[in-house]
Amino acid sequence: MANQRFNISMKKFLSDPILGVIILLLLVGGVASFTVEVFFTLQNFTNFLSGSYFVMLLAMGMTVVLISGGIDLSIGAVMALCAGIVAKLALQGMSVPLVIVCALAVGAFVGCLNGLLVTVVGLPDFIATLAMSAFATGILFIWTKGTPIVGYMDETYKQIGGLAPIYREVTVPMVIAIVVAFALGAMLKKTKFGVHLFSVGSNRLATRQSGINVTNIRILAYVISGVCAALSGIIMAGRNTTVPPDLGGGYEVLAIAAALIGGASLMGGRGRILGAILGEVVLAMTINIINLLGVPSSYQKIFIGGILLLAVLVNQLVISSRTKILMRSTNKK
Amino acid sequence: MKSTIKTKTLVLAVIASLVTLTMTGSAANAIGTLKQDALTGTSATVDTAATDAAIRKLVNGRTIKLGFAPPILSEAYTIAQQGAWNQMKDYETRYGVKWVWTEEAPLNNAHSGVETTGFIQNYVAKKYDAVFVCSAAPAAVMQQLYKQGSAKGVEFYQFNSTEQLNQKSQATDATAGLSSVSNISYDNRWQSGALAAQYIAKELKGKGEIIMILGPAGSDWTKLREQGFRAVIKKFPGLKIVGAADGGYVRDKGLTAAADLLTKYPKINAIYGENEDMALGASAAIDAARLKHWDGKSGIITIGADGLVSGMDEIRKGNLTATVNVGYADMGRTMIRTMFAHKVLGMDVAKFIRVPTVIVDKSNVDIFQSQIKAELATKVKY
Repeated sequence: MANQRFNISMKKFLSDPILGVIILLLLVGGVASFTVEVFFTLQNFTNFLSGSYFVMLLAMGMTVVLISGGIDLSIGAVMALCAGIVAKLALQGMSVPLVIVCALAVGAFVGCLNGLLVTVVGLPDFIATLAMSAFATGILFIWTKGTPIVGYMDETYKQIGGLAPIYREVTVPMVIAIVVAFALGAMLKKTKFGVHLFSVGSNRLATRQSGINVTNIRILAYVISGVCAALSGIIMAGRNTTVPPDLGGGYEVLAIAAALIGGASLMGGRGRILGAILGEVVLAMTINIINLLGVPSSYQKIFIGGILLLAVLVNQLVISSRTKILMRSTNKK
Repeated sequence: MKSTIKTKTLVLAVIASLVTLTMTGSAANAIGTLKQDALTGTSATVDTAATDAAIRKLVNGRTIKLGFAPPILSEAYTIAQQGAWNQMKDYETRYGVKWVWTEEAPLNNAHSGVETTGFIQNYVAKKYDAVFVCSAAPAAVMQQLYKQGSAKGVEFYQFNSTEQLNQKSQATDATAGLSSVSNISYDNRWQSGALAAQYIAKELKGKGEIIMILGPAGSDWTKLREQGFRAVIKKFPGLKIVGAADGGYVRDKGLTAAADLLTKYPKINAIYGENEDMALGASAAIDAARLKHWDGKSGIITIGADGLVSGMDEIRKGNLTATVNVGYADMGRTMIRTMFAHKVLGMDVAKFIRVPTVIVDKSNVDIFQSQIKAELATKVKY
């Protein structure tokens, strides 16, 4: 009986899409620990993880949207806009909790607009969120008049940005990332919304025909992504110590890469929060290793591209083996 | 009639000598050329009334349409633009010239330059008089666009560019193979990278370990600044560049890159960030690693390049040791002066105009920060 249970657990684990990223993580980490002297130290892990929490948050939000069958290209710009809001309001002397609430509200609002443009107006998600990205960036440029927002930093914002720990190696971004990960993970696994989200991403028409409000679910997915981008912006304002008008460029690509490495699919209906986190860890670790090895920066993009390709290939292998396992067990029955 | 011709000749002679003086750089003083005018010299010592009146007559209330195409909107280009606007306002007041100014900048990916090529075509289609361009697009592509635009009467002026990377010699070709009227910039090798290296060498007395936080791979600015930096470091056997990483010209990536390198090399003596944002990211990495900033005797020197108000604030606080001020405000003013001299007065201008650059640290930050702040405080806008 125990043996049978173990076999079932093993089969389940081996057919999990997250296995791909775990293999990749072990592979990259394993090679690095033998080749890079200081890689396997607490200081190094703290270093590269502290620079990846805000991308993790973006990747988690992106995963939710990808599961629903959409894509959100505005998250980098929304992150920057929310960082700008934090900096500006902090400069005006607003209390920290109120500043955070304002930034989150803006993130949710932009997410809601994205959702409405995609579902109600019927624009392709790629176009709608790209336009929103330009819109958010433009607002920040006009608002800042092209110069960075400076002078708002104090000890609290240093902590929010993770530049000062709250206890030993524990930082605010770390805590936020963990809390959001648990909340979103539980939402996807344990709630009706989570089940519906996967269903919408897998087969929108069938889901609609089964009486589920697909529009609301898709809008909510974009709202979650907007809130994650806002959280990321709040951290970024503290970490960057200034908010330049060109902040946020390219982070949406990193978030998509992390989500895909973590097993999400651009076709929708697939993705894991833990996968997105591990995906970003793989990316951050790769950059860390490149820096430590002194590899010329021109190779950085090749390495990241290679890692992305490898991750997708490993995921494909896991998926095809999962299909084989499922078919075998169906035949047995 | 004769006396009118005489006056005109005299005016043009004065103008020509002063413009030549300025363009060769000898007139440019250490704090830039804020109080100086390329056409009439310092007004405190020269009576400019006759010259002003003659130029006003020539201008005759004309409107000049100018395009401004920086690679991205940022603090650096905002300062350059404000410098240009202030010079335009000066000319408007003195000579009655009217201006139309249109800025077009990509919102993303400053280092591709793709969007800028589209802006150039728009300016040509709309028959602008002159366009100021700084782009990361391939030089050959940009020169071709300038050539086509020039044939339609649009003048092109490059600013803050990297034409030194692939320009031909003026020894055999007066245009150096360039279709832009003039190139107003600084030499990224010797007026930026090399200056930073000299500062580090001087402070460390020629002995120590350095890490470099570079701009994105493939960027011409990155290549040139690194070339100048390495060339100087090579002259000091006691100085060693132990590591380098890509900081993408942004603060956060600079922080990550410096943090990684500080894990491996905690005993380094200096960090060279190719721009101020990356240097400030490196400064935050020093704090995070609980290492000490340079105090004039010990700690880690952090040096960047740009000359921004925000960077100079950090120099005051001791978070940034120094920066190479590349004179963005001066560049903006020089752009307008050069264009005006060529387009309006029909003068020949130098193909390559180098604005002065300077190392700014705690000892002289008051001078240069107040200079930039004064430019930005005018509120002049076009």
